[in-house]
Amino acid sequence: MSTPPLIVLEGITKHYRMGSEIVEALRGVDLTIRRGEYVAIMGPSGSGKSTLMNIIGCLDTPTSGRYMLEGTDVSSLGDAALAAIRNRKIGFVFQTFNLLPRATALKNVELPLIYAGAPPQERRQRAIAALESVGLGDRLRHKPPELSGGQRQRVAIARALVTGPSIILADEPTGNLDSKTGMEIMALFHRIWQEGNTIVLVTHEEDIARHAHRIIRIRDGRVESDMPNPTPIVGAPLLV
Amino acid sequence: MRRMLSQYADIFQSAVESLRAHLLRSTLTSIGVMIGVAFVSLMGWALRSLDAAWERTLSTLGSDMLYVDKWDWSGQGNWRTMMNRKNITLDQAEEIARRLRVAEMTYFSADAWGQTITTADRRASGIVIEGTMARFGMLPSTQLAEGRFFSELEERTAAAVAVIGEGVRTTLFGNRSPVGQTIRIKGRPFVIIGVMPKRGTLFSDFLDRTVYIPLPAFFGIYGRYSRSITVAAKARSPEELDVLRDELTGVVRAVRKLPPQAANDFAINEAEVFRQQVANIRIVIWAVGIGLTALSFLVGVIGITNVMFVAVIERTKEIGIRRAVGARQSTILLQFLLEATMLCVAGALVGVIVSGAIVLVVTAVARDSADFLLPVLPPEIVVVAVAVSIAVGILAGFIPALRAARLDPVEALRYEA
Ligand SMILES: Nc1ncnc2c1ncn2[C@@H]1O[C@H](COP(=O)(O)OP(=O)(O)OP(=O)(O)O)[C@@H](O)[C@H]1O
Ligand SMILES: [Mg+2]
Repeated sequence: MSTPPLIVLEGITKHYRMGSEIVEALRGVDLTIRRGEYVAIMGPSGSGKSTLMNIIGCLDTPTSGRYMLEGTDVSSLGDAALAAIRNRKIGFVFQTFNLLPRATALKNVELPLIYAGAPPQERRQRAIAALESVGLGDRLRHKPPELSGGQRQRVAIARALVTGPSIILADEPTGNLDSKTGMEIMALFHRIWQEGNTIVLVTHEEDIARHAHRIIRIRDGRVESDMPNPTPIVGAPLLV
Repeated sequence: MRRMLSQYADIFQSAVESLRAHLLRSTLTSIGVMIGVAFVSLMGWALRSLDAAWERTLSTLGSDMLYVDKWDWSGQGNWRTMMNRKNITLDQAEEIARRLRVAEMTYFSADAWGQTITTADRRASGIVIEGTMARFGMLPSTQLAEGRFFSELEERTAAAVAVIGEGVRTTLFGNRSPVGQTIRIKGRPFVIIGVMPKRGTLFSDFLDRTVYIPLPAFFGIYGRYSRSITVAAKARSPEELDVLRDELTGVVRAVRKLPPQAANDFAINEAEVFRQQVANIRIVIWAVGIGLTALSFLVGVIGITNVMFVAVIERTKEIGIRRAVGARQSTILLQFLLEATMLCVAGALVGVIVSGAIVLVVTAVARDSADFLLPVLPPEIVVVAVAVSIAVGILAGFIPALRAARLDPVEALRYEA
């Protein structure tokens, strides 16, 4: 008996009502992602990449279709169960970092552990370890405004990793960074993937997508192509 | 359990942080609650003071005592009518006492108001001289702070001895002991043999400005017929008061020779007559207090609700972030509820401090004129005030907190201020 795939999407649609109009952001997406994959989702602006990401991350629910996460049908779960899934199985990384501006790097990384109910001592140790693993062991007390863009994104990555999730979801993680910093972040993702994590990355830059081992192209809310990338590039080693 | 605790600790901490981040705004918003709590506390304090005054009145006058007097003490009767009543004479008083069957004991007294008394170097005016009997001194409710009451022998021999009220002592002697000193009433010397403890209350503050002398000595100064006599009758138990009142009414009417259809030309006074006065004052305090309190809490609730709505909008992104990393709707709800509640509790604590200060100042300033006021805020009032403020916080914070909890996390994350 093999373990079920990490993510199975069947006929996922998402409609938004805009006044009298209905926007079909997703029009029937079927997708399977296995543990340990490194997937890039590409597509033009407005094609539904973020919508798909949010559904995979249990931040949003599909209008129709079935979503199995580690063999569990997520569509039927309530708020508390979904919150627990986001907390333990999902690690989000956003284009705009989305850190709490008044909290220190350490506090930001501790946040998921607070909702996981970890005791303060353990919380702190694990957050420090996560920050050290992204090369920010000397920036624990800094607040986001006191950090560079790349450093902020690394805090966000530490926060995504800290609960030991099944999957890292990154929506344009390099979108707000210069290309050099972007490459550093991609090198970090590569290492995280090497350590056994599953990564799903949304981007519209070919250079970024080529880091992944599988590239899924979306257009108008449908999967246009889904192909392995036989020659993934390995990002420059992390400059700490 | 531990898991919950660590979450609550964090929720608490983040509430404190966000209130601190907007200190001025938080302070201004909680003023309504602050004033509301101050009103509640002061109202409670006034009511408690009133109750204490009532208790003391009851114990000074005695719940088993009736006082037959030309005057109605409750202040309700028509002044002119009472003025025109014939005095109750000593003969009538003695006749009344002789005929009573159910009274345990009786004594007589007569008062001269607005008197001036002197010592060698000081004078006190506005004094009540009360001629009374040794039996008054033997009542359980007649306690002395110092010295003793006069005896039957001293009474019968019209001895020139006096027992003075607490207020008289402070006016004439300050902190010195007055026992053995001499005061002059209408020029006649009286030796002080005893001092009463504080007895006056809201309704009977004159008690502390009273000097008690033997009734025959009183007659010696003011004459036998110039003043109306008060007949005090003690029931064997408070339960027998009604029986005694009935008998007393009949006996006094007979002694005063009233025809059957005539109205009473006397009043039978008792501690109870002040109950209605207490009730009236209570109603006024309640009406004013509740009105002002409700108004300030209403202002407080509106202000806090408003500020919480603003806070929810300001922190939309934060809410999105928290939801993305695993916060439940209920956690968000709790966070904002707690914030609103803390605003209120902070306001309440300041309100309690302010009203406590007001109490101190008022009791210090009005020590002589309103000494029935309790010197401190009763602690249970403080508890009630804080409890009320928590309720107000939950009330004011609920709708904004619900809105925060129900935000769509995707939209919240996309929100840019
Ligand atoms: N809350 C919403 N209400 C209405 N329409 C929405 C909403 N969110 C997304 N859409 C629409 O759904 C479609 C897909 O949006 P989505 O954000 O998934 O695109 P995207 O592929 O992430 O684009 P980009 O590359 O610009 O980020 C778009 O047409 C968008 O306008
Ligand atoms: Mg997008």
